[in-house]
Amino acid sequence: MKMQQIPWDLRRRGLKDSIRHDKRVKDAIRKNLKELIAEENIITSDGKKLVKIPLKYLDQYRFRYGTPGNATGQGKGQPGDVIARDSANAPGMGPPGDNPGGDIYEAEISLEELTNMMLADLALPWFEDKKTHQIKTTTYRYDEIRTKGPMSNIDKRRTLLENIKRNAAKSEPKVADLCEEDLRFRVWSVKEELQANACVYLLMDRSGSMTTEKKYIAKSFFFWMVRFLKLKYNTVDLVFIAHDVEARVVPEKDFFTISNSGGTLCSSAYQVALDHLKKCHPRDNWNNYLFHFSDGENQEEDNSTCKDLIQDLLTHCTMIGYGEINYQDDASFYGLVKPYSPHWSTLYKELKTVDSKRFITTIIKQKEDVHNALQHFFSRKEARRQ
Amino acid sequence: MSFPEQRANAIKELATDLGLDFFETIFEIVPFDIMVEIAAYGLPTRAQHWSYGKVYNRERIHGQMGLSKIYEIVLNNIPAYAFLLDTNSDVTNLLVAAHVYAHVDFFKNNIYFADTNRNMVNEAVEHAILIDEFIEKYGLEAVEHVMDIGFAVDRHVDVHKGLQRKPYPPRQVVEQVRKVKEYEDIFGDDAFMVSRAVVGGKMPPHPEKDLLWFLATYAPIEPWEQSVLEIIRKESMYFYPQFETKILNEGWASYWHAEVINHYLLTPGEMIEFGVLHSDVVNPGGRMGVNPYYLGYKILVDIEKRWDKMYADGESKITGKQKIFEIRTLENDVSFLRNYLTKELAEKLELFTYGYACDHHPHNKRLCPKCGEIAVKSRSLDDVVESLIATRFNYGVPRILIREISSDGTMYLEQERSDHRGLDMKYSQKTIDYVHQLWKRPVHMVARNEQMKEVTIRSST
Repeated sequence: MKMQQIPWDLRRRGLKDSIRHDKRVKDAIRKNLKELIAEENIITSDGKKLVKIPLKYLDQYRFRYGTPGNATGQGKGQPGDVIARDSANAPGMGPPGDNPGGDIYEAEISLEELTNMMLADLALPWFEDKKTHQIKTTTYRYDEIRTKGPMSNIDKRRTLLENIKRNAAKSEPKVADLCEEDLRFRVWSVKEELQANACVYLLMDRSGSMTTEKKYIAKSFFFWMVRFLKLKYNTVDLVFIAHDVEARVVPEKDFFTISNSGGTLCSSAYQVALDHLKKCHPRDNWNNYLFHFSDGENQEEDNSTCKDLIQDLLTHCTMIGYGEINYQDDASFYGLVKPYSPHWSTLYKELKTVDSKRFITTIIKQKEDVHNALQHFFSRKEARRQ
Repeated sequence: MSFPEQRANAIKELATDLGLDFFETIFEIVPFDIMVEIAAYGLPTRAQHWSYGKVYNRERIHGQMGLSKIYEIVLNNIPAYAFLLDTNSDVTNLLVAAHVYAHVDFFKNNIYFADTNRNMVNEAVEHAILIDEFIEKYGLEAVEHVMDIGFAVDRHVDVHKGLQRKPYPPRQVVEQVRKVKEYEDIFGDDAFMVSRAVVGGKMPPHPEKDLLWFLATYAPIEPWEQSVLEIIRKESMYFYPQFETKILNEGWASYWHAEVINHYLLTPGEMIEFGVLHSDVVNPGGRMGVNPYYLGYKILVDIEKRWDKMYADGESKITGKQKIFEIRTLENDVSFLRNYLTKELAEKLELFTYGYACDHHPHNKRLCPKCGEIAVKSRSLDDVVESLIATRFNYGVPRILIREISSDGTMYLEQERSDHRGLDMKYSQKTIDYVHQLWKRPVHMVARNEQMKEVTIRSST
C-alpha cells in the first residue's frame, strides 16, 4: 500500500474559481439592480453597515424537469397520509440536478458599495450656491510630519532617510542603528468644507387605497433616496410628511413603518410642506426639494387646490417630483404579466398642466420602475450660476 | 496525521484474501480544504470553471458548519487514487481503506466501467492546461462562455455510441452493384446491374441523443471551441458509470468495509468507534429520502442471506457471496433495483413513494385544500422501484433528441414521447438559447411544459 503526503497547501484552485464565482455573482447584481432595488432584506436592513443579499448560487441552465415526480421515503404511514407541507424539505421532488432547491448563498456586500453601484451617477438637480453655508463636509488629510506620533502612522520612507542622514553625518551613509530620534510620523488635519444647504421633503400618501405593495414601492424609493443623499451630501435636512386627509411631519423611523388608513387629500400634505418651508427653509438659504408619492386616488374637488399649492411651492423649491404608483394588480407588479398601459389619475392630469420644467413626474407600474424613477428625478442638471 | 503503514497493509491483505480484486491504489492524506476541492471538481486537477468554485464554496460552508463530512474520495484510474482527510482517526482510516478497496474492485470489475478512461487523472490535467492556454489566447470570458454552454448539455451524451464516433456520411448518391436477378440480363442493359441509393439524405439519419457530440462535430465553431466541448464530453462520459451505479457501488463498498473490519483485530474501544462510524455511513436517511449507502447495503445483505439459504436447500448452485460478486460484475442501479429489491425487503425497510397530494402544479399556491400537501402515494413494490430508478435514469436529465436539421439549417429538438414529465420552461428557453449560440441558426424544441401541454420553444433572436 502506497501512502503519500505532498504539500497540498500550495494549491488554491477551488479558491480561485470560488472568487471567480463571487465576481460573477457581483456582476449579476450589477445587471439586476433594477430587481434588487425593491429587495425586502435591503430595505429593512435598518442601517446595518453590511447587508446580506440572499443570492441563489448562480444558475447553470440545463434541460430539467419542471413538474415534480414522486420520490421515495421511508417509515410508517398509509397512502394518502400527509407527511409534509410544501416542497421545502422534500429533496427528491424538485427538479433534479446539481442544485438542491432553494439553496441560498449570502453575498455580503456593504450597503455603501451597493448604494454606490445603484446610484453612482445621481445628483440633486439644479443645485445652487446659497448665501449662507451650513452643510459641512469634513475630510481628513495627512499633511504634516512630526517626530512623535502613533506607531501605526509611521512614515517608513522618511524614517529611513533620517537614519541614513544621521549615519552620513558620521560619514557612514547606510541604514543602521535605527533609534528613536529617526522616527517620523504622518499627522492628519481635519478640513472642513462648507457646501450650500439642501433640504429634502418626502411626502407619502398613507391613505387606505395605498396597499402594502404600493406603500412598499414608495418606501423603497425613499429608502434609496435617503441612502444616496446621506452618501453624497454629508448633511441634508430631511423632512418626512405622511398624509391621508390630514398631514403631519413625522420622524424618519415612523415614516418607514407607517400604517395606512383613511381617505386622501393631497393638498393637506402640500399645505404642511409649504408652511414648514416658509418657516424653516427659506429659499434664499436653502436648496429645497420635494418628492411626493401617491397612488393618485385623490378626492376630485381637491385637485385644483393641489395644483395651486404646487405652483406656490415651486416658488420655494428647486425642484418638485411627483411619483404616481399606478398598477393594476399583483401579477403585473411582480412582472408575471405585461403591465397594462397606465391610465393617469385625475390628480395627475390636473398636475400635468403645471407649466414648469422643475416639476417632474413619473409613473411606477412595477417594482423595477423604482430604479427608473430615481434615475429620472436625480439625473444631473446644472444650476445657473447666480 | 499519518496512518500506520502496517495497519494499512493488513487491510489490503485482508481485502485480497476475502476475494476483492483491485487496481494498485495510492492513498494520499490531504487537509480539509483540499478534500473539499477534490470533491467539488471530481478530480484533483481539472479545467478551471466558476461552477466548480460554486460547489467548492458551498461544500466548504457545509463542512465548516458540520452539515457534511467527507472522509474519503476515490478515483477510477490506474493506479487508483484515494484521498483521506488528515483529521481522520486510525479507525476511520481503516474503515475508509477497506471501503476504498471495494470501490476500486468495483471500478475494475463492473462491466459498466469496462470502457472508462483509466488515465483520466492525468488527462484531466492536460485538459486543464489546454483550457488555460485557450484562456490566455481568447480571454476568460470567451472560454467561460463556451464552457457554460458545454456544461448546460454535458449530460446529453450517448454512452452506447461510445466516446469516439465517426461523423455521419455526407449526403450523396451512391451507386451499388447489385446481384443480377434471374433473366435480367436479357435486357442487356448494364444500368440494371447498379442501383442508386441516397446516403445521408436526412440529417441526422436517426434521432441523435448525443447533443454534445453533434454540436462539437457539426456546429460552425472555431477549432478551440470544438476542443472545449470535446473535453467536457470526455469528462462527462468518464463520470457516467459512477452515476448509474451509485447505489450498488456504495452498497458494495459499505458491505466490504464491514466485512473486512470484522476480520481485523481491533481493540474493544476501537470496535465501538468502528460500530458508531459504520452505523453513520449506512444510516437509513430521513423520512423524505433514503440514503443510497444504506439501501445498497441492505439489498446486498438480503441477497447474500437468500442465496445462502437457497444454496443450503440445494436450489442454487452458488453461495450468497458468489451471488453478490456476480451482481457487482453485471448490474447497474436500474437493473439492481429492478431485479433484487424484493417486496419483503421493501416492506421491512418501510419504503414508500410520496408526492404532491393533488394534481395542481406546485406554483399554484391554493387551488384546493390539498395544494402544497405532500402525501404518501404508494407502498407497492413497482411504484417504489420506479420512483427510485427515475432519478438514476439517463444521467438524471430529461430525454432530448435532435430530430432533424432542416434544409435552412434550423435544428429541431424534441423531448422523447416516453418522457412523462414536463420541462422547466425558463431553463429550457435558456438552454435552447445556449445551443443556438453555438449552432448560429434557429433552434426549435418540441416539449411538454409544466402543465404537460405540448409547446415549441424557439431560440430567441
